[in-house]
Amino acid sequence: MATDTRVILICSGKGGVGKTTLTANLGISLARQGLSTAVLDADFGLRNLDLLLGLENRIVYTAQEVLEEECRLDQALVKHKKESNLSLLPAGNPRMLDWLKPDDMKRIVDMLKEQFDYVLIDCPAGVEDGFKNAMAASQEAIVVTNPEVSAVRDADRVIGLLNTNAIKPVQLVLNRVRPRMMANQEMLSIADVTDILALPLLGLVLEDEQVIVSTNRGEPLTLNSVNSPAAKCYLNIAKRLQGEDIPLINPAEESSGFGAKFRRLMQTKIF
Amino acid sequence: MRMNLKGQKKIINIETSQYPNWKICLINELKNLNSNNVEIDCNDIDLSCTDILELISIADQYNCKIISFCSRSIKTIVSSQSLGYKSQFIIKKPSDNTLKMNEKNITFSKSHFHQGTLRSGEYLDSPGDLLILGDVNPGAKVSAEGNIIIWGRLLGIAHAGSKGNSQARISALHLRPVQLRIAKKVARGPKEKPQLGIAEQARIDSDEIIISPLDAT
Ligand SMILES: Nc1ncnc2c1ncn2[C@@H]1O[C@H](COP(=O)(O)OP(=O)(O)OP(=O)(O)O)[C@@H](O)[C@H]1O
Ligand SMILES: [Mg+2]
Repeated sequence: MATDTRVILICSGKGGVGKTTLTANLGISLARQGLSTAVLDADFGLRNLDLLLGLENRIVYTAQEVLEEECRLDQALVKHKKESNLSLLPAGNPRMLDWLKPDDMKRIVDMLKEQFDYVLIDCPAGVEDGFKNAMAASQEAIVVTNPEVSAVRDADRVIGLLNTNAIKPVQLVLNRVRPRMMANQEMLSIADVTDILALPLLGLVLEDEQVIVSTNRGEPLTLNSVNSPAAKCYLNIAKRLQGEDIPLINPAEESSGFGAKFRRLMQTKIF
Repeated sequence: MRMNLKGQKKIINIETSQYPNWKICLINELKNLNSNNVEIDCNDIDLSCTDILELISIADQYNCKIISFCSRSIKTIVSSQSLGYKSQFIIKKPSDNTLKMNEKNITFSKSHFHQGTLRSGEYLDSPGDLLILGDVNPGAKVSAEGNIIIWGRLLGIAHAGSKGNSQARISALHLRPVQLRIAKKVARGPKEKPQLGIAEQARIDSDEIIISPLDAT
């Protein structure tokens, strides 16, 4: 039985910034490190964590039946076929939104805490009930954002809410970083983002076409991690979460030729 | 040296009890450092903008980037904030005489004091003056019937004299709001970057909102 379970909310405010992709890849990476990990799909309205993990066809029961005591937790948990340390607790149907309360989320998470080292909660977009329920059950949070003004604005809003709810620590993941665009100042810089959000940067994830390929295949990148830049980023995030002191990778090196210009812009190697 | 366990940021604590001055202490700490990102805890040492700039250049020589400052000295916080650094003011314990004296000297009526950054979507309104120790981020809004003083960066929206007082002013260490309002006047924030280290003030002059360095008034 795990004693010091870490319950981490993965949230963003704005939709489509990469929460579910991060949850799936982080789940696989942590499991790879030998940590028993549960990923909980809290996006009842638009569930798709099961799709990303390629587990859709194995779902029999969901969090809903567990709460209604129609099945036991272990009957609803879906073990990943290739990574046995990872289990998914699927979201129930969208009508759950009508009656689900923060206490229900807490009950589910308390059950998961009894057997997992990590519980990752894939949060729905927005700051309404779905977010509030998921937050109620969490201890710490990872805020995902993109180097875009609107995503940063929404992340800031969410961080304010996490702070007032004493969620600690709150760390930042900056997703879909394109070194060339940053070097040309067509995209917000890392400093622009961290300056406003004032959070410790847990990591960056590079824009990577293979993310889309892997999504469609239902195999998170970190599962095979051929030579994908994004996979490397996800693995590093998992290691840093475990307290390893992995230096942030420098995207300038990922896009050769832009190195010097980018480094000047960055001043430090905070990737 | 104090170190936080999680994350990449290390904290360097500069103090003068064991060293002749803070610079020697800083250099000593930097020598033993294995991280690039640091927060400087200045304790109660008073540092001017020039001191902070010197501190940054010393850190530079050790390839070390300063992320933020914290201090119990308000002077130091003003200096580091105005140079654009995240700065956290650590309030002295209530038993401390300095704070009590300061409290007596503040004579705002119905004034509100807020410590901490206001983030997007957050809103603060005061029936008198409003003093904020922290940033007002884009998407956040502050308003006051009287003056607004921001000991930090104003990047969101501020409305002073919200009930029509056109004498009201808005001051900030870094005044680059999305929008400014004084009484019934509305102005968009200036585009160009402000000069570092100079606090600015917005007020109504000949029926227009103007922004000028705070010292000049
Ligand atoms: N680093 C990346 N590189 C390229 N594409 C990415 C990256 N991260 C995410 N994407 C793509 O962005 C889209 C949205 O990702 P994802 O579903 O993880 O976001 P989300 O925050 O969970 O969205 P929602 O708010 O709808 O739940 C997906 O099509 C995904 O493939
Ligand atoms: Mg999602």
